[in-house]
Parts: sequence; C-alpha cells; structure tokens
Amino acid sequence: MASTVMDQRKLSTWKPNSKLWFLILGLFLAIGLTSAAVVFWNGLIVTNMSDKVPWGLWITIDLSSIALGAGAFTLSAVVYLFGVKQFRSIIRLAVLVGFTGYTAALLTLIIDIGRPDRFWHPWFFWNVHSVLWEITWCITIYLAIMILEFLPVLVENKFFNRWPWIRKIAHVLHKAAPAFALAGLLISLLHQSSLGATYGIVKSRPIWFKPSMPIMFILSAVAVGPVLTMAVSYVIEWIKGVKLVPDQVKRTIARFGGFGLLAYAYLKFWDYAAVTYYGRTPSVSQSFFLLNQDTPYNFGFWFGEIILGIIIPVFLFLSPRTNKKPVYLVLGAAFAVLGVIFNRWNVTVSGLLIPVQYSPGITSLIEPGKYFPAWTEWGVAIGIIGYVLLVLTLGVRFLPLFNTDEH
Amino acid sequence: MSKKKKVSVALTRRDFLTLGATAVGSVLAAQVFTTGPLSPFSVLKQQQIEGATEPSIGHGAAGKNHWGMVINLDKCIGCEYCLRACSATNDVREDMAWNVVTKEKNSTGRTFFFSRPCLHCQVAPCVEVCPVRATYIREDGLVVMDYERCIGCRYCEVACPYDARKFNWEARPDEENPYVPTWGIPEVERRPRGVVEKCTFCIQRIDKGLEKGLVPGEDMEATPACVNICPVGARVFGDLKNPESQISQVLEENSTIRLREELGTEPSVYYIPPKEGL
Repeated sequence: MASTVMDQRKLSTWKPNSKLWFLILGLFLAIGLTSAAVVFWNGLIVTNMSDKVPWGLWITIDLSSIALGAGAFTLSAVVYLFGVKQFRSIIRLAVLVGFTGYTAALLTLIIDIGRPDRFWHPWFFWNVHSVLWEITWCITIYLAIMILEFLPVLVENKFFNRWPWIRKIAHVLHKAAPAFALAGLLISLLHQSSLGATYGIVKSRPIWFKPSMPIMFILSAVAVGPVLTMAVSYVIEWIKGVKLVPDQVKRTIARFGGFGLLAYAYLKFWDYAAVTYYGRTPSVSQSFFLLNQDTPYNFGFWFGEIILGIIIPVFLFLSPRTNKKPVYLVLGAAFAVLGVIFNRWNVTVSGLLIPVQYSPGITSLIEPGKYFPAWTEWGVAIGIIGYVLLVLTLGVRFLPLFNTDEH
Repeated sequence: MSKKKKVSVALTRRDFLTLGATAVGSVLAAQVFTTGPLSPFSVLKQQQIEGATEPSIGHGAAGKNHWGMVINLDKCIGCEYCLRACSATNDVREDMAWNVVTKEKNSTGRTFFFSRPCLHCQVAPCVEVCPVRATYIREDGLVVMDYERCIGCRYCEVACPYDARKFNWEARPDEENPYVPTWGIPEVERRPRGVVEKCTFCIQRIDKGLEKGLVPGEDMEATPACVNICPVGARVFGDLKNPESQISQVLEENSTIRLREELGTEPSVYYIPPKEGL
C-alpha cells in the first residue's frame, strides 16, 4: 500500500509531456518485444538473413552500440588516469551511456544467436584462438567494470538510505576508480579493436581481409563515443532547462571529437589508397566491381561515411563559428553517430553480399547475395532504441548523474 | 645556492602496504592465469595430458589416420547421385545440401562438372573463429561439429572460404525428405533449430567401421555415401597417411589441385582437373 502511494506521488510530479514520452517508449518496447517473441517462436527464418548473408542489421546494431559506448572508457581514462578533473561533471553520464550501449548490444546478440539458451557457452567452453570468444569475455568484464564504476552513483539514491553499509562499500569502490579506469581502458582498447579484427582476420572474404580494420574500428569509436555523451548531456539540459555540465567541457569534448575524426579520416584515406592498393588481388577488384554494380556501395561510403560521418561533423566541431552553438554540436554529433552506424553496416553487409568463390572454373555460378532487413529485424531495432532511451530517461530521473561535488 | 638538495624518499607505511599488496596480488593473478582452473593454458595442458580426447583447435591430423578424398573432375558426369545419397544418409534438408554439384566452364569454354563436400581443412578458418569450440579438428583430420555446444552465432559460416556450412534457420519437424528411401536411409539425427551443420565425411560410418575392423575407403560400410554411390568412380576416399591406400596411390599417379590453396587452409580434398585443363 505504502509503496503504491509513493509511486503515485512520484508519478504525479511528472509533467504530461513526460507521460507522452513514456507512452512512446512503451510503444517502442512493445514493438521490440513482439518482434523478439516472433523470432523466438519461429526461429531466425523470419528474418531476411540467409546462408549467403548470415549477419545483418542486428550485428550492425551490436557493433555500433559498443563503438558508441566508448565514451565511458575514454572519459574515465581522461578523468581518473590523466587527472583532467574538469571532466568529472560528465563522467557519470558517460558511464551510463556506455552501460546502456553495451547492454543494448548484449540484448541484440541474445536475439541474434540461434540458440539463446546457450548464451553462457563462451564463458565455459573456451576457444582462446577466437576473436569472438575474446570479445565476449572483454564485453562481460567491461560491463562488470562499468557496473562497479556506477554502483557508487546508484546507491546515492534515497532508496538506499536504510542500508548504510552498502554506501560504505560503494565508497571504497569509488576510491578504486583509477584502477577501474585503467582496467577499462585496457579491456576496451582490446575489444574495440577486436571487433574490427572479427572482419579483418577472415581470409575468405577479400574486402575484409586487411590489417587496417581493427585500427579504423577503434579510432572511430574513441572519436565518436565521447561526442555522443556530449550531445546527450546537451539534450538533457534542454529538456530539464538547467545547466548541468559546463559548456567549456562539452566544447572541449567536441573539439577532441573533431580532431579524432580527422585522424580517423586520415586512416580511412590511408586505408583507401595504400592498404587497398597493396592488397588489390583480383578477387578484391572483382568484389568492388560487383558491389558497385549491384549496390549503392560507393554512395554509402562517400556520402554516409565520409561526408556525413566525417567532413560535416569535423567542420561543425572545429569551426569557431559553429562550435560555440550547442545546436551545431548536437547536430554534428548526430551526423558522426550516423556515420559510425553507416560504416558498421557497410563493412558487415557489403562484405557478405560478395559470394564466396571457390570453384576452379572460370564462370561464377553463385549469385551475389541480397539483403534488406525484414520487419522483425526492424522491430527488434526499434525495441532496442526504446530500451536505450528508457534506461537514459530513468537514469536522468532517479540518479544523481550531475553531482559535481565529488572529491 | 649551489647546495644540493637532499632528496629523501619517504616510504610511508601506506606505500609499503600498497606495494606489498600489489606484488602479492600480481603473483596470485599470475598463478590463477597460468595454473588455476580458470586458466586457458590449464585447459590446453589438460587436453594434452588426456591425449586430446576433445582436441584443441589444433592444426591437422595428429593421429595415425588422416581421412581425405580425391575428386576426379575428368570423370564426373554431373549426375548428382553424390548429392542425393548424402542428403538421404545424413537427412539433409533439400536447400541445405552438404555436398553441392555445379556445372562449370574451363578457360577453353568446355563444360565440366564440379562438386564440393566439406574440404576438412587442416588449418580450418571455421575452427579458429568458433567462440565455444563447437567445431574442431579430430585426431584423424576430420572437422566436426558439436551440435550440443553450438550457439548459432554463424561466424564459422561467415569465415568458411568454401561456403560449406549451413545454418538451421528453422526447426524441421516432420517434413519429408524427398531422397529417402530411394537414395538411402538416414543414419544420423536431424539437427535442431539454431545450429550450424556441414558434411562430416559420414563420420558415423568411419567410426562404426573402424570398431568392426573395417577399412574406410575399401569397405563400403565404412566409406562415405557419396563415394559409394558414384557410378563412374570419380571419388576416392581413404587414409592420406597410409602410403598403401588407394587414395595415396591415386595422388601419386595424378597431378592434383586443392581449392583456394593460397589461403593456406590445407584442405583434405584434392581434385584431379579435367583433361583439357581448367
């Protein structure tokens, strides 16, 4: 009884706008849960993935949300290892965004694998030679680190008033923040690059098999992850109508993101010009020919990844005329995020559309693969977006994310 | 002014304790990672001790046999009997054939027929990428699947350079197999939904045959269905490690190729090209 009364009181403090917001989130989650139920019931046959294109939209979501969660380890390292204290005001939000991204990836993965009931197998049956095994472990460990990093924030909630000993433990945990930051940095550098290696080591797929893959993955994650956190903090400020993070901090993150994207752009051109040149076997040339003939690969690459994902954000983040206006910074972050998603999609799907050619003859009888996500796949994607927004909303509502009086 | 400042290193008790704890912690961590039950190395070591009952991803056949196949493209007439016998014996779904047959052209424009089982690579990309060791190389060189362990991530399917792996996108309850009983009777269970499957060189025949003292490749009961049914004898199966076996003789007498050899996958399947060349 008492709890329901309290809940009502809490709910009544929420404005009608926020009720509408929760209605939308509920709708997103309902769509997601329905799609997931359809997938679990019927099997992955209800997706548009096939033996030719065994990975699709969901893997793109996994890769993107882990990359976009990179703000957590980057900013933790900046604050706790490099001792740049002014970023403390955003660090809790960064960890929350990171946590949301990683859990979103795990949720998607559970739906994507054929045997969700065996999700725990990588922890028990080890193949130390597999990048995917290493990634699973790194993500598990890093998720644990993020939870430990975030526990002190969580127990500041009034709810924990009755158990003071939990606060004491949390206080000790908070003292260990530099250790968590160091572990998080190492583990993240490892798995963020391994996600690229997932593709880079596959000999059978000509356009994937190159050493530049892990470096491009990690650099794009480090550049765009913090920028997403920056944009989220702006949006929260707009909604709440309060200043929470000093503008100077956000602008510095945007500038860092701008320079990071420039470095990423440099790597991409090196990859485009040099790596592809040295690795231009006949099968690579043939693959690009097929891609350009059958898919909007070139458009996706130049428009989605380069112009939208790099050039426009770099301009918005670094030009003195635009980087003082929050709207432009948030817009730039949105483009950069889209660029990362474009890139992960392009890498995954384009590589798989090219048929594996193994016959010794001269004619290829294998048709290039075709793939566009089915409604179930889009539905799960919408559900995941709903989940991300819900966690962020609840975090902002109930947690002291912007408590700057940290010692 | 030129007096040297005395530099004193003050080691407080706190520092001392921190250093001590770090040192002890490192030693413990090293212990856990190298010898403890959580250590990857201990798993590998244990397997070595147990004579690799469940082999690590290993490279190649370590035992006394190495099963391989020769496919003579010059003899193949494209009848697809191998496909049918395989699909019946292993109860393979029609659109998921483990053993495919295609019509190909050589550089002079002449048609030849090409068929492909799983090549049982000795440096197998699929085995390397599996996050749970659900697929592994046996002592006798066979690349096999553990359907009970596969989580269905499909990374092996993505990594296979020969498109030899198929995923069970849906359950196969009581659907008819059009190849049964004309082309054979299923000898293995259907695979469940959500796991990857592939050609096994009819592992059930090899294992049962060896128990009975038969020789795979010579006694039909111990030989893969596709080899037995071939009406023109285009497929030869046997022990690559035994120089007396038929397959070793065939390999000695003919020049052969392996598929995508540049990838270094060391397939166990060899091809004799058509007389007119490729």
